[in-house]
Amino acid sequence: MSEQKKNSKQYGFDWGMQVKPVYTPDDLKEISLEKDVGNPGDYPFTRGNFPLMYRSRAPLNRVYSGFLSGEDTNARLRYLFDRGMKTMSIALDLPTQLGLDSDDPRAEDEVGRIGVAIDTLQDMEDAFKGIDLGKVSTNITINALAPILLSMYVATAEKQGVARDQIAIVTQNDILKEFVVRGAWIFPPRPSLRYTVDVIEYCAREIPKASPVSVATGHLRSSGANAAQEIAWGFEIAFAYLQAALDRGMDVDQVASFITFTFHNKLNFFEEAAKYRAARKIWARILKERFGAKDPRSLMLKSFGGGGMEELTMQEPLNNIIRETLVALGAILGGVQGVGLCCYDEAYTIPTPEAQLISLRTFQILMEEAGMGDVADPLGGSYYIEQLTVELEKAALKLMDEIEKAGGIVKAIEEGAIQRLQARGAYERQKQIDSVEKIWVGANKYVSEGEEWDVKLHEYDPTIQVRKVEKLNKVKKERDNAKVEKCLNDLKQAAESGVNIMPSTLEAVKAYATIGEMTKILKSVFGEFKQPAVF
Amino acid sequence: MDLAEQVLMGDEKSAARLISLIERGNKGAYRELIKLLPYTHKTHVIGVTGPAGAGKSTLIGKLALSLCEEGAGVGVVAIDPTSIRSHGALLADRVRMKEVEMAGKAFIRSMADRDHPGGVCPAAAGAVSVISALGKQHIFIESVGAGQSDKAIFYLADTVITVFTPEFGDEIQLLKAGLLEIGDIVIVNKGDKASAEDALLAISEHVVQKGETTWKTPVLLVQAHTGQGIEELLAVIKAREEFLQKDGQGAKSRRDKTIIFMMALLKEEVWSRLAGHFPQDAGISRIIEEVSSDKLDLYSAVDLIAQNIEMKVLSGHQ
Amino acid sequence: MGRNNPIRVLMGKPGLDGHDVGAKVVSMALRDAGMEVIYSGLHSTVDEIVQMAVQEGVDVIGLSILSNAHLPIAKKIISKLKEKGLSDVPVVMGGVIPKGDISLLKEYGIAEVCPFSTPLNKVVEAVSKVAQSKG
Repeated sequence: MSEQKKNSKQYGFDWGMQVKPVYTPDDLKEISLEKDVGNPGDYPFTRGNFPLMYRSRAPLNRVYSGFLSGEDTNARLRYLFDRGMKTMSIALDLPTQLGLDSDDPRAEDEVGRIGVAIDTLQDMEDAFKGIDLGKVSTNITINALAPILLSMYVATAEKQGVARDQIAIVTQNDILKEFVVRGAWIFPPRPSLRYTVDVIEYCAREIPKASPVSVATGHLRSSGANAAQEIAWGFEIAFAYLQAALDRGMDVDQVASFITFTFHNKLNFFEEAAKYRAARKIWARILKERFGAKDPRSLMLKSFGGGGMEELTMQEPLNNIIRETLVALGAILGGVQGVGLCCYDEAYTIPTPEAQLISLRTFQILMEEAGMGDVADPLGGSYYIEQLTVELEKAALKLMDEIEKAGGIVKAIEEGAIQRLQARGAYERQKQIDSVEKIWVGANKYVSEGEEWDVKLHEYDPTIQVRKVEKLNKVKKERDNAKVEKCLNDLKQAAESGVNIMPSTLEAVKAYATIGEMTKILKSVFGEFKQPAVF
Repeated sequence: MDLAEQVLMGDEKSAARLISLIERGNKGAYRELIKLLPYTHKTHVIGVTGPAGAGKSTLIGKLALSLCEEGAGVGVVAIDPTSIRSHGALLADRVRMKEVEMAGKAFIRSMADRDHPGGVCPAAAGAVSVISALGKQHIFIESVGAGQSDKAIFYLADTVITVFTPEFGDEIQLLKAGLLEIGDIVIVNKGDKASAEDALLAISEHVVQKGETTWKTPVLLVQAHTGQGIEELLAVIKAREEFLQKDGQGAKSRRDKTIIFMMALLKEEVWSRLAGHFPQDAGISRIIEEVSSDKLDLYSAVDLIAQNIEMKVLSGHQ
Repeated sequence: MGRNNPIRVLMGKPGLDGHDVGAKVVSMALRDAGMEVIYSGLHSTVDEIVQMAVQEGVDVIGLSILSNAHLPIAKKIISKLKEKGLSDVPVVMGGVIPKGDISLLKEYGIAEVCPFSTPLNKVVEAVSKVAQSKG
């Protein structure tokens, strides 16, 4: 009783909750164990989507890979498959994400730098050569141009003889958050939304195992949002996609289970585990009560959890392995469907194979050596975790209500309101780091001045652009250019008429039309986004 | 070669330097400015004002791009507020003018208001002259966008475009804002057709037709971000230009406005110079002391201090 | 430099990288240190950034690059500034920059480098310092 607090340090979370020194049975009094917590596999799924959780469905581990050419990427993927990787997560270079071919002047110095450079179907075929797309699930981080990359994947799979209903593909296809933080936008929000829904609609019809939208709300978190904002903004963005699909006449149960989420974890795994628990509960209730979903799969939030380079330090980079272990733990204890970790060297550049291997091993050790996934929701019933879950739920619901009252998330993004909150959040966070209120071991506390840790880093091959342009020219020469022209014309008509863009995109892709050619056509119809710079 | 000559030869770098020097109150720069004045009469200066978020920058970007494409020289002076706390500023209007930036043909200058009231900064007038001397036929000035007080732009521009959005709906606010009063062209920007037309109607009713001139203030619907209505607006701007050229109306109005703006700057300058001396003046200090101890009301105090200063000025003249 | 003479900085985002939170955070810190900051917006080319620097009469150019393309971009901007007679405008670079590249960047003519996780007061200091040296 007489124990004194050692200093004036504040304990709590940036979304407003103060944390007590200890939690007791009293903290469970307000919580209905039956209604709010329940059992794993039972509505509202606070404790997880499935009764046996990881015993029945092992979580996936995404190792984000891709660099230089399709061939270079293929070699790296095989290296990782040989060491137990089970799912692919493809990183694209910036020109590809923005619809620029490797010979575009604006692509100079960026070709194949932070991901694989894709100009035509040929590059995708090279990247997945010898990898059975009927057996592996793949995540592609593509947003503004999801229909094109999805078409390339489908065309590659079909060439391998894989039936469409066996294709398991996740396209990020979350354009709204690009306007807020990641900046890989091309078209304005409204036509972009239509483009997003085209993918959902097409997958509902043709590719039942696809996840055509993975709301990457983690990007918001890693660049300034707190955990409550991460849930609230991510859900509001998801509802915008869902509503757009419903407005087109689709049924909620056709759409909801196609929307998945990628969250971002920081190191406090109690907070992060509670985040997934709160998010599942909110999703289930809103889908049921507001959207009238009936299929239990619609009510289950499918979440991926990962780390971002924002948590890593350049100083003493090997410590980042420990940081990512904590990230993984928060996700697994929170009951996610998959994990995507950063590699220790990613504060510098894209990872080496060795760093990727350690990331893969981290996950394997946690799941298979340490048995972290053996029991469903092992934190459930903890006084602290249950309280944290409830508080986070309340904070997120309040934010959602505010956005909805102010006219919705699309308007908030168009006007820059979310961007403003985001930037200010990031500024506050940086000030806390600078004042050592927020601690970064080895970077702002216990800094070892003058000591250098040399780690081997990935090196870019500057000859890639020349190689890629040669290849592009070869493809252009060998393809049936009259057919390409016809396909591009069809694509334009589809864009103008408002029919689903996917079939004509797929045809253009199969004719080896380039990303740049297709994007140019789409820009002429959809226009280009103008950034509202807001602080 | 001095800066003024360089500017007249079209050197942007010198123009930028001269503007910076004017901003800093450099007297040598004022002498350069004098040399430029004879070359500044062919420019149509268009002020754009309206509440924050009305889409002023986007609108200017579109107009500037169209004019550039026609082969005209275009300048932009975009003013953002200075932070009261730090005296720093974030100047981000330029980002919304990306297209004209990419076309590479306009001269755009971002300025902070440096705590100056009225939605513009003192150096804006100088900046306009410098950009005009670069050979730009059209110069847009974007005011801060703080709302009601954004009226000083009237004295810097030949033509004022006031931009509203349908959301700015409260009619009383509109009248109070006084921005309508200074608008030679009124724009309703953004919004869907129905809501914009409602706003158009509401605003049209309140547009002040200025008695002293024959210019009829038009009210236009525009979608700045899509470019819808820009062509019509450009036609109106050109009509306005012709109107101003007729019988030298524009030149006369500009001369009058310049004197008023000068007087406003003088007021500030005189005040800031005199106020610095108050603590040393025994008479004024005593009056201030009496106000703080309730021996004197503030109105009498103002009257007394003003008399005090007036006497000193007058005695200096004798 | 002071109240009537604040340092003017152009904060540029060259290249295709769209992560601008860092650029915004630094812009806010510079503003709060009394500077006037002009933001270039995303996806700016080196030519556009240099054009802005010319017209805005800035004292310093800050560049934020997270795409690893800092070396070629540095080379380009320095040569473009020279071409436009703006070699006296110092360039400060921030973002994801490995330590090993810092000396190389300085060799190219970059005045200061503030890699990811540099405290904001150090960034402000670096910008002030190079602005003073410009005179």
